[in-house]
Amino acid sequence: MVQGLVRLTLLAVLLLSGCAVTPPAEQAEPVTADTELQGSPAMALLSRAEQARAQGQTSAASRYLERALTMAPHSSWLYRELALLRLEEGDGHAAEGFAQRALRLAPDNDAYRAELWELVAAARAEQGDHGGADEARSRAQALREPDRA
Amino acid sequence: MAKNAKKPASARKGSARRPAKSGNKRNTGSGARRWFSWRFIAKVSVVLLVLAAAGLAYLDAYVRDRFDSHVWQLPARVYARPVELYPGRVLARNDMLKMLELMRYRRAGGAPTPGSYTTDGNTLVIHTRGFRDSDGGEPAQRIRVTLGGGQIRALDSNDGDSLARLEPLQIGSIHPGHTEDRVFVPLDRVPPLLVQMLLATEDRDFYEHHGVSPRGLARAMVANVKAGGLVQGGSTLTQQLVKNFWLTQDRTLARKLVEMPMAVLLELHYSKEQILEAYLNEVYLGQDGKRAIHGMGLGAQFYFGRPLEELEPHQLATLVALLKGPSYYDPRRNPERSLARRNTVLKVALEEGALSDQEYRRFRERDLEVVPRGASPLYAFPAFIDLVRRQLARDYPADVLGEEGLRIHSTLDVLAQLASEKALSEHLNRLDASGDALNGAVVVVAPAQGDVLALVGSRESREQGFNRALDATRPMGSLVKPVVMLTALQQPKRYSLASPVADEPITVPLTTGKKWTPQNFDGESKGPIPLVDALAYSRNQATVRLGMDVGPDAVVRTLSQLGVKKTIPAYPSILLGSIGMTPFEVAMLYQPLATGGFATPLRSITDVLDKEGEPLARYPVDTEEVIDSGPAYLIQWGMQQVVEKGTARSARSVLPADLKVAGKTGTSDEYRDAWFAGFSGNHLSVVWVGRDNNENARVTGSSGALPVWSRLMAGLPQTSLSQTPPPGVEEVWMDPSGEKTSGKGCSGARRYPMLEASIPEQSDGCGSATQVKEGVVEWFKGWFD
Repeated sequence: MVQGLVRLTLLAVLLLSGCAVTPPAEQAEPVTADTELQGSPAMALLSRAEQARAQGQTSAASRYLERALTMAPHSSWLYRELALLRLEEGDGHAAEGFAQRALRLAPDNDAYRAELWELVAAARAEQGDHGGADEARSRAQALREPDRA
Repeated sequence: MAKNAKKPASARKGSARRPAKSGNKRNTGSGARRWFSWRFIAKVSVVLLVLAAAGLAYLDAYVRDRFDSHVWQLPARVYARPVELYPGRVLARNDMLKMLELMRYRRAGGAPTPGSYTTDGNTLVIHTRGFRDSDGGEPAQRIRVTLGGGQIRALDSNDGDSLARLEPLQIGSIHPGHTEDRVFVPLDRVPPLLVQMLLATEDRDFYEHHGVSPRGLARAMVANVKAGGLVQGGSTLTQQLVKNFWLTQDRTLARKLVEMPMAVLLELHYSKEQILEAYLNEVYLGQDGKRAIHGMGLGAQFYFGRPLEELEPHQLATLVALLKGPSYYDPRRNPERSLARRNTVLKVALEEGALSDQEYRRFRERDLEVVPRGASPLYAFPAFIDLVRRQLARDYPADVLGEEGLRIHSTLDVLAQLASEKALSEHLNRLDASGDALNGAVVVVAPAQGDVLALVGSRESREQGFNRALDATRPMGSLVKPVVMLTALQQPKRYSLASPVADEPITVPLTTGKKWTPQNFDGESKGPIPLVDALAYSRNQATVRLGMDVGPDAVVRTLSQLGVKKTIPAYPSILLGSIGMTPFEVAMLYQPLATGGFATPLRSITDVLDKEGEPLARYPVDTEEVIDSGPAYLIQWGMQQVVEKGTARSARSVLPADLKVAGKTGTSDEYRDAWFAGFSGNHLSVVWVGRDNNENARVTGSSGALPVWSRLMAGLPQTSLSQTPPPGVEEVWMDPSGEKTSGKGCSGARRYPMLEASIPEQSDGCGSATQVKEGVVEWFKGWFD
């Protein structure tokens, strides 16, 4: 019970101090490969994939990423990378699918989600779906400027 | 090609005989005088010369054509997925050792050569073999793997990345049209000792002669006279190659007569190295059922389960020993003879200086060390190879597959395949000990990438035959219920998992004028039940009522949304699964349900490489969102209830307690088909059990198929289904009517995940409905407790 009281006091202090400053920082921690894959062996494959892609070896890059996915199946970042790669290869259909999957697994970060919606937009444009691309772009916009949406 | 080759051979025979025959006729008919006429002899000589020249010219073209094309006719080879090793990978020590054994790694202190390993408690040092792949592949290297707690704890490799792969295991080959098989080994990769032994025992003058060797022939004749019979052929390697290439095995004089000029022609056109390489890759070494074993490369695989490069001297000698008579010296059937002949070969190698005295004495003491027949994983998975062949046939013509030596990297996971086969056969043996009445099929898929990990087409999984996984089209029964429910859940304003559905008798008028009155499995009717219970307990009447409410045509639309390509008529009977599907098609249908709404085509191939290991084609993963995240989450949750408390709850006692899985049982009319289709976070498996003649199999989804599924899934490394609801889904307490919100602890209240659009405004006035609010209360309470 005493402990309960102590906690209550602590809680009150916390709540008050919380009110005193601005609400939790709007800029969440940026999402990167590191935040998603730190410590995972998939990280090594991701950097090999990036290297291969830089050298124009898209099919090797794709193989590395698929292997990485078996090690880290819930990584939004890996799906994002696959979407970028497919887009580069001109496969808008798969690029859209992977971008959507990346969105499904995305951490709660508006800037990152907005970026993924832009990716969806690009993938749709690649397929000639300009209406769909506009829609995706406006979702990205809404995430960047929540007040205007 | 083979047809063309035969025709001229018989024509040749005919032309050789004709003059002799006509001569005989004249001889008997018109007296001897004309027979001795010089003019006649001159004419015959000219004719014979012309024929011989034509014959030679023909033989020449023929020999070259066959040589150039035939040696390089290599079947496409199919490989399992490489075994990926990395820290954190779930892998029991026993499974690791089983893999090494399957891949014929030998245990040797210090793991000195590729294809060997050594163990020290939980640490293994593996000398990998290395291979080519579309990402460059993997070098042969020594790695240190530490296992513990059912997973890889640590891995040290040369590149410091803590990653390594074992080479993909060859699981079969594709050779349409002919039943020959071969593993091509270029001359520079053939162990020199093998060549030394071969030449010393079969053809000492190989580098001197021009195709035929009078010396060799003389030696053989002396030996034959001494022995009083045919013991030595006296054929050169070139002649033996000709025989292997072009001629039948019968030892007739006529064959010998054609063989010699052909051998000479061959030597004219090709170098000794080319002939030797062709010989090593062509020579007949035995028979494996219908499959002829040609060449040292395949011989090494067939008899020793290893690449030729890895064989030790006594094993190489056994292969050379086979040349005298592959059946007579078969090391499996006639081990004593084989051993004696092998030791003779070793002796010859000693005499030639190819082996030291010490080596000779060491290796002649070794056993034959052949692997048992059938123990090789090669050709062990006919159902899966069948799938690969069908997928390849869409992109490659038959001759390319049969001749160009393509390397097909497949998605097969050997451990998953073995676990599937075992689970199916063991359960069927329990149900039907007498033998062959019941049969079944299993499909295992990694849903995220659509990789087919295992495919079992028969209870006798080694036998090639009816591939039930791909070809048995059977009514899917209650497996369709998640599709009916999903159709409703995609209309959140009308339905949620809590929506009351009447499990009461219903009669549906059919267009045929008949009436359909579906019954429940237990013959009872439960009255109004929540939608999720209709799924969990597989209530037929409730499902038909719901299905008639949303409309069978809407259910057909959902089926096509999930990727079903074939036309399905919107009859009411489809609501209880009158739709015929193969186990493979069910896996395709359930794949988007397993991934939360993303359809990915199932693939059995990842890459195609040419015979040198250069990448030719990739089969990349494709994906498309076909179901919105909300309804996709809800149906997964509903299907989890099937296992948590419904018709599949018996699986819980087999699976790890904390593993979240989902699935659905299926039983067709009169117990003809038993199904279970279900998934964890990383495996989707479909099991079908029934009889080929479509008779009553006396099994239900729960009794016939589910036990196979649970044991199989329990044997695979699993991850749970995600329990995090997507945005727009909330956890809501609902009152028993399913029409008002309620609160935790309120009478009869149950919690459901719900789309925001489904949450009713009305509350029963007891407690707060959503978990978020409740969560905060709980949190506050926690502070005071």
